[in-house]
Amino acid sequence: MSEKEEILKKFVEASAGSDEEKVEEALNEAKELGDAQLIAQLKLIRGVDIGDEEMCAEAAKEAVEAGMAPYKAIIDGLAKGMEIVGGKYECKEYFLPEVLMSADAMYSGLNYLLPLIPKDEKGTKGKIIMGVVEGDVHDIGKNIVKAMLTATGYELVDLGRDVPTDDFIESAKKEGAQVIAMSTLMTPTLMSMKTVEDKLKTTGMKDKVRTIIGGGSVTDEWRAKIGSDAYGKDAMEAVDKVKMLIDQIMVAVKKMKETEEEEK
Amino acid sequence: MKLSSEPEKFEVIFLPHGRRDFFELGTRLLDASRALAIDLASDCGGKGTCGKCKVRIDEGLESLGKIKPSEEKHLTKDMIEGGYRLACLAKIRAPLKVYVPEISRVGKQRLQTEGLEVPVTANPFVRKYFVKMPVPTLHDVRSDEDRLLDTLKKQYKLDPNTLVMEFDIANDFPKIAREANWEVTVTVWKDIGRYKIITIEPGDTSGRCFGFACDIGSTKLAGFLMDLNTGKVAAVGSRMNPQTPMGEDVLSRITSVMMGGKEAQDKIHNLVVGGINEIIEECCEKANVNINEIYELCFVGNTAMQMLFLRLWPQYTAFSPYPPVLRRGVNVPAPKLDLKSHPNANAYYVPVIGGFVGADQIAVIQATRMLEREEITMDVDIGTNTEIALGNRDLVTSDSCASGPAFEGMEIKFGIRAATGAIEAVSIDPSSLELIHRTIEDQPPVGICGSALIDIPAELLKSGLIDLKGKFVSKMAEETNRLRKGAEGWEYVIAWTDESATEHDIVITQGDIRELQKAKAAMHTGAELMLRMRGMTEKDIDKMWLAGAFGNYINPENARTIGMYPELPTEKYVFVGNAAGTGARMSLISQEERAYVEKISTTVVYYELATDPDFQSEYARANYFPYQDLNKYPLTRDLLLRLGRIDEKGKFIYPE
Repeated sequence: MSEKEEILKKFVEASAGSDEEKVEEALNEAKELGDAQLIAQLKLIRGVDIGDEEMCAEAAKEAVEAGMAPYKAIIDGLAKGMEIVGGKYECKEYFLPEVLMSADAMYSGLNYLLPLIPKDEKGTKGKIIMGVVEGDVHDIGKNIVKAMLTATGYELVDLGRDVPTDDFIESAKKEGAQVIAMSTLMTPTLMSMKTVEDKLKTTGMKDKVRTIIGGGSVTDEWRAKIGSDAYGKDAMEAVDKVKMLIDQIMVAVKKMKETEEEEK
Repeated sequence: MKLSSEPEKFEVIFLPHGRRDFFELGTRLLDASRALAIDLASDCGGKGTCGKCKVRIDEGLESLGKIKPSEEKHLTKDMIEGGYRLACLAKIRAPLKVYVPEISRVGKQRLQTEGLEVPVTANPFVRKYFVKMPVPTLHDVRSDEDRLLDTLKKQYKLDPNTLVMEFDIANDFPKIAREANWEVTVTVWKDIGRYKIITIEPGDTSGRCFGFACDIGSTKLAGFLMDLNTGKVAAVGSRMNPQTPMGEDVLSRITSVMMGGKEAQDKIHNLVVGGINEIIEECCEKANVNINEIYELCFVGNTAMQMLFLRLWPQYTAFSPYPPVLRRGVNVPAPKLDLKSHPNANAYYVPVIGGFVGADQIAVIQATRMLEREEITMDVDIGTNTEIALGNRDLVTSDSCASGPAFEGMEIKFGIRAATGAIEAVSIDPSSLELIHRTIEDQPPVGICGSALIDIPAELLKSGLIDLKGKFVSKMAEETNRLRKGAEGWEYVIAWTDESATEHDIVITQGDIRELQKAKAAMHTGAELMLRMRGMTEKDIDKMWLAGAFGNYINPENARTIGMYPELPTEKYVFVGNAAGTGARMSLISQEERAYVEKISTTVVYYELATDPDFQSEYARANYFPYQDLNKYPLTRDLLLRLGRIDEKGKFIYPE
């Protein structure tokens, strides 16, 4: 392991364990090493971890100036930071406010980095349509999931809140998305999720796209009842399940194409 | 064949508490209730002889098998059909949902019906007139009706052209009049544009004219039997809202109705009316009033309660942009709602403002008279749904936030309602970490109620046991054995087993603190965004009225320390208790007040928080204790600095 890798490893572990002293140590070691890319990377991770928007924006700029590829800065910097935040949320170290602030910090870095990525590098992993279902305007939960998913490198189409049911379907068609992710906080609007599911079935879209649902009032029983493909009880679980769904659908689509070709 | 040696476990949920856990096959329901600190009564120690532990099984009834002979002794036929059982004789064999009715609950609930007393002259819509009619003779052959109308005109100057007799009393009237020797009391209700004679009673009953006012809260009902002649309270009563098994918050209740259709709509209506009727009967008994002497009823409550109570289809109000069905005040014949009262009584529901700002908020604005004031005031009505109003006579705006029932003790591990034995106040000495608590009626503690749920995070913060983010400071476990790691993570002991009336330590968990944090953050966000929208800051507020079920029991400084509302000097906070109940009484006893609430409903401007772009970031900041930016809380900052909890920069000082 190179010295650079060792510092990075130490820093990530210390951040995940909230060992402030070790974090400081690793930062100093990076400075001593004088590796501008490494320093920027650590700052990106740190900025997201502690929810510091300015630090992230600054570090994003520094990373690019130091010659780091924007895509790498996102994945190895911002996304790594978000992964740490997710872990801390899961073990109850972090709570809602920290996650929301980390998300803001991550976006401040993303806003700088995303426009710099060449077009052909985008959207290779998978595409997700997401939104808060018709009738509901509460979008904090959706925004957290969005931040977590962005950090994984998937391409996201955020339809916002109070999204008419047809828009989910139209947009999935138009964008060729693999997953539709729907959220709601309120209970009456659970019905809107069912409407989307029903329409997917009647329009024959159900084989082409997978759905995941989540939000304050959503349960796994509801998922089973309306025939959605997955339920994420929190943002972390949502990300894991989206990954699973995308893998599933990619395999399924590949198989479909193969059989089609064989038939030819 | 069972491979596992683990005994089978089933989840049991107790309502309206919302507490749940898994229990082994064969556990007695009464024992399960004790393990969860449910306030279920039992005098015989679970032998099935006292019949006090009546519960209603809402889900899983079939698993309990046939009713036992000793149960039959204590339960009426209606109760058995309604799913009632005795908890001491029921054994858990499947997942259960259990409702603990008011009659089976230990301890007297503190009424929390006290509210602001606003001087209002009684000028009710219902009046009684004692008349002595001339006896009919061959020279005076007027109809019975004309005889009455003429006498009313002569004695009380009532215009016969505006008076209508309710048709269903015409049949009995001639008989009553003759038997009473033509001396009767006429009850007149003022409808829009006319007067209705709603009943005729023999003799002089003009001294006995009653009405009933009720605040229908999502969690609690508070009722007042009022003497309409004097405008004074004759009796008060309160109950938990029996709708909670159909959903703890108003939205889940609306969903139940949407999914269950007409049947569910009737059921949820019947539940709340059942609770209200119980209060009416209780009040009548206390004040020695006959139910038939209640001639008018007046209700306030949020918009969801309005729809569920009046049986208005609530679905569309639950969807953005949340339009209410009826905004104006509603007059309905009381029997149409199955209310216990005189059969010709009128029920009035105070107008609402919007889908999420209801008659309860109007009542608070009415009771505090904020629309008449020069000074800027803010009303905060704390509850499951917290409503906020801000302004003065030039403009009052109002919003609402879903703060959840945490401060009512729901979804809190040992949270209970404010009844005998509830821990109602807690203080911790910041240096010795010694804890003192006070319970209602000084009885051994059984759980923690709302006012103490405000004290606890405040005291923990001041003592350095939780940090500004609400996390337990684990290092402090070395200083006090009350802080410890439990099955669900860190927890803090409020009362030890040996001092408590339960068989376990009463603790507050990290999860509980999180629930309280989210609730207080929602309230704070509602207030903060309202100020910002009006271009104001907390410094512009001359007075803050704090209303809600807490009554006057909460410690205003502790509530401020945790950041429930914007920070003001203590003297600017005024507690008005159940101001919604006060408003309901005012609208019952005064025609002017009823006109006034209609005016409020068209004057106050509703502000939809959900559209505020700052909502999310503001909510995140408000999740801190007291708030992320301590500059907005200088008094609390100074306090924490003095106690050595934070440094000059406002950073929390963790123990070495």
